[in-house]
Amino acid sequence: MPCFSKGNTMRRPSKSFRSKRTILSEIAGVIAVALAVINAPAAELRIGAATINITPDKPIALAGQFNTRISRGVDNPITATAVAIEAREGERSVDQAILLSTDIVVFFPAIPQPLRERLRAKLPEFDPRKLVMTATHTHTSAVTEEGTYNIPKDGVMQPREYAAFLIERLAEVCVRAWQQRKPGGVSWGLGHAVVGNNRRATYADGTAKMYGVTNDLKFRGIEGGEDHGLEMLFFWDKQKKLLAAGINVECPSQEVESRSTVNADFWHDVREQLHAGLAKDLFVLGWPGACGDISPHRMYRKAAEERMLKLRGLTCTQDIGRRISREVTDVCELARRDIRADVPFAHEVADLALPVRKVTEREVAEAQKEIEVLKKKGDKSRRSAWFQATVDRYRTQDKEPTFTVEVHVLRIGDIAIATNPFELFHDYGAQMKARSKAEQTFVIELTGGWGRYLPTARAVAGGGYSAVVQSNMVGPEGGQVLVDRTVEMIGELWKPTTK
Amino acid sequence: MVLALALAFSSVGASAAELWIGAATADITPDRPVPLTGNTSVRIAREIQSRLTANVLALESREGERVVDQAIMVSCDLCVIRPGIQEGFRKHLAGRLPGFDLNKLLLAATHTHAAPVILQNRYDEKDYGDAMQPKEYVPWMYQRMAEAVVKAWKSREKGAVAWGLGHAVAGHNRRVVYSDGTAKMYGAMNIPEFRGVEGYEDHGVHVLCFYDSQKRLKAAAISLATTAQAAGGNKVSADFWHDVRRLIHEQHGESVCVLGFCAPAGDQTPRAHVNKKSEERMCKLRDLTYCEEIGRRVAGAFDDVAGVIAKDIRADVSLIHRVRQVELPARVITEAEYAVAKKVCEEVDVRKKRLKTDAWTRHFYGLVVERYLAQQKGGWKTYAMEMHVLRLGDVAIATNPFELFVDYGVQIQARSPAVQTFLIQLATSGPRPAYYVPTPRAVAGGALNANPFTNYSATAAANMIGPEGAQVLVDRTAEAINGLWKPPAKQN
Repeated sequence: MPCFSKGNTMRRPSKSFRSKRTILSEIAGVIAVALAVINAPAAELRIGAATINITPDKPIALAGQFNTRISRGVDNPITATAVAIEAREGERSVDQAILLSTDIVVFFPAIPQPLRERLRAKLPEFDPRKLVMTATHTHTSAVTEEGTYNIPKDGVMQPREYAAFLIERLAEVCVRAWQQRKPGGVSWGLGHAVVGNNRRATYADGTAKMYGVTNDLKFRGIEGGEDHGLEMLFFWDKQKKLLAAGINVECPSQEVESRSTVNADFWHDVREQLHAGLAKDLFVLGWPGACGDISPHRMYRKAAEERMLKLRGLTCTQDIGRRISREVTDVCELARRDIRADVPFAHEVADLALPVRKVTEREVAEAQKEIEVLKKKGDKSRRSAWFQATVDRYRTQDKEPTFTVEVHVLRIGDIAIATNPFELFHDYGAQMKARSKAEQTFVIELTGGWGRYLPTARAVAGGGYSAVVQSNMVGPEGGQVLVDRTVEMIGELWKPTTK
Repeated sequence: MVLALALAFSSVGASAAELWIGAATADITPDRPVPLTGNTSVRIAREIQSRLTANVLALESREGERVVDQAIMVSCDLCVIRPGIQEGFRKHLAGRLPGFDLNKLLLAATHTHAAPVILQNRYDEKDYGDAMQPKEYVPWMYQRMAEAVVKAWKSREKGAVAWGLGHAVAGHNRRVVYSDGTAKMYGAMNIPEFRGVEGYEDHGVHVLCFYDSQKRLKAAAISLATTAQAAGGNKVSADFWHDVRRLIHEQHGESVCVLGFCAPAGDQTPRAHVNKKSEERMCKLRDLTYCEEIGRRVAGAFDDVAGVIAKDIRADVSLIHRVRQVELPARVITEAEYAVAKKVCEEVDVRKKRLKTDAWTRHFYGLVVERYLAQQKGGWKTYAMEMHVLRLGDVAIATNPFELFVDYGVQIQARSPAVQTFLIQLATSGPRPAYYVPTPRAVAGGALNANPFTNYSATAAANMIGPEGAQVLVDRTAEAINGLWKPPAKQN
């Protein structure tokens, strides 16, 4: 059947003779671009980077599962990396950002506010709101909130204690990055690595299930899409030495999520392999894309995938590290040809009030039923609290119809970075990228806090963990507002100014 | 005796044997201007962007002198294996392959939209002008392909095979959904109504490497879920498969025969969407066309996998090849769809000034009318297709003739007992066209109307079978594969 391809729009320019008319129109285009002063004028960039080890030296409770896990050792270090960027026109600071990527599951409330206060004290010239803090979502890092797990008091570092340690360390790495900033440049590129897999299986009866079985007669397909583009932002010093790389992967780092050891998951392998193959002192910012419905776990053809790991002699996280680092190394060489020092740089921070997903009467009744069942079983996991939170929300939701989230939108040259605190389903990231005015758009979730999962309408219809009301503060209605506002904010940074 | 029985029970349905392998390539690039297929109106190609080939793999499994099973697979740089083409080719080969069951030969198309028309009445003959007509091209193509098939078959020798799975981002789901619930192939995404891409993508690159007795690479079969539509245009072109072959030849030698297969990808295409602007920029930085870029990714995945699986080359693998005629429930045409189609046909028929798209439009809607009328009389209830299911060591290979949406390919892979399942769509041809096979969510994206592009690929006009038939196809394929993995019956 015809498929109506409209032809290739990605050809190299023809080498045929260019008429005078063509040349004149090209000159006119250059002048037009020069006259179109953008909302974020070009300025000198100053860049600094640092990494710090946040591995505790005692057993800790590990966050990310319903059951309590106490670490029995350390597989590999968990770290935090900061890249500080400042744009200056002469001595005037035009705008700023500290991009912080941390090997934790999410930024629970115990961390962001105290961290910002610490930075306010230590860096008076830095606006703490311009701290962009992202969690890689590793499920083998520390619990930072009290009262969520049954943690033994003896021999285990308590969440409060770890939180204090973490804040100290994060403040230190931000300060170091900030204080080390020097003139430099940036470049960017797009690669590809198949890392994340949409994890919601759908069935003949219309239901959906996270990690549902697929070798089943009733299995009908994977619910949503995946984006295997690797958005990369490279930071260089004045001598064009590679300093840091921000790597945006549409996949949370949770391959080894059920272990009882401290582990940075695949980001450790990415860092290790980049240090070995690209630059030994490279600072790596791990940025998860819109991947609330994505994970590294394979949903089908597992035997073929596992066989290849055996043949390669690699674990899964090592293989993910290989796929990402190989691509970053390849794209870096291309991006090196297009390093820019005087790029437009702007950083907007907004608190968006999104409509909450309302709990229905039916959902409350179901939650109460589940609480009773769990009570009878003597369940000691977090599940009861999970259902109870839904009941509590029902009681207050009319008084609190919105959920406020911190959103960052940055322009750096021709790229946009847009963050949100959710485990945002893939479709929303696709919408933002497709509608963005930028040439390349990085969508980074789990930034600035934790908003839980944000599912699509089709996911809510299918149900299952991550799309049931217990999993969501905000539903598709709020998701659409988030997309629309993010796209508007990006658009503002691409508007020509009027003089 | 007990041990022998235990071994018999534990052995798989196909005992180990020698694998004999032959390969050959035919250049099927026409030597004159030729009408191109794939669009609603014909284009006359007067130039060649890249040469078209048919790549042949001949396999025979033997135990001593006894032939266990056989297969000849031909990957063709064509859009579709149209009705009658495979049958015609088998007839052309009659008598030229003694000892080979011609039913074990299958043709598969890469789906390039820059290949010659191979059905005379696909378009209005008046529009072919002085170009090489299908009725001339097809026998010419048969002759070339037959030479390659005979050469591959006759030159088969003992060899070995290895298999593996890689990944390359070469295909994207091309169906875009909107806030009003409608869907559109290649729909705009940079608008507020855009909600997401309808379905899934499968970025697996399935590789089968075939070696001679010295473990030198002889042939490579690669299957991935995307169609050969990275470039388009009005010149004869094998699309990205040309670049894949070129790069593999540079790395592994010109003599390697490279068979490109399209896995279930009815809703896929290489065309970039969400990241389109940055993809364009990266192509500029690499100084590659987008087609060359896709070729680079696929060839890169192949090189990576070929290097790894070289550790696991196997000479004593089994080959089983089953060919089945399968009947699937046809998509039922509704009265409303009939009314729409009838009206369009009448408008085309009375049009005073012929449009270049009329032949295609008349056929597209005319078949809806024909099917409805037949169904009202109890006919056209099923769609008959030829299915090939093979077992080669731990790999299952399964074919279908459709542009099968990716979800169905995922289902088959998920339910297959094989370590690796290599799927091929657009394979074989029957008496009727095969067209797209959509999912229920695709069908829900819009009903047939007078605009053929409304929910194109998921309306009745574009589907011989619908989701009901597709599910039967999946179930039958899974059963057939499972049948090749059953232990043998008890020995007395």
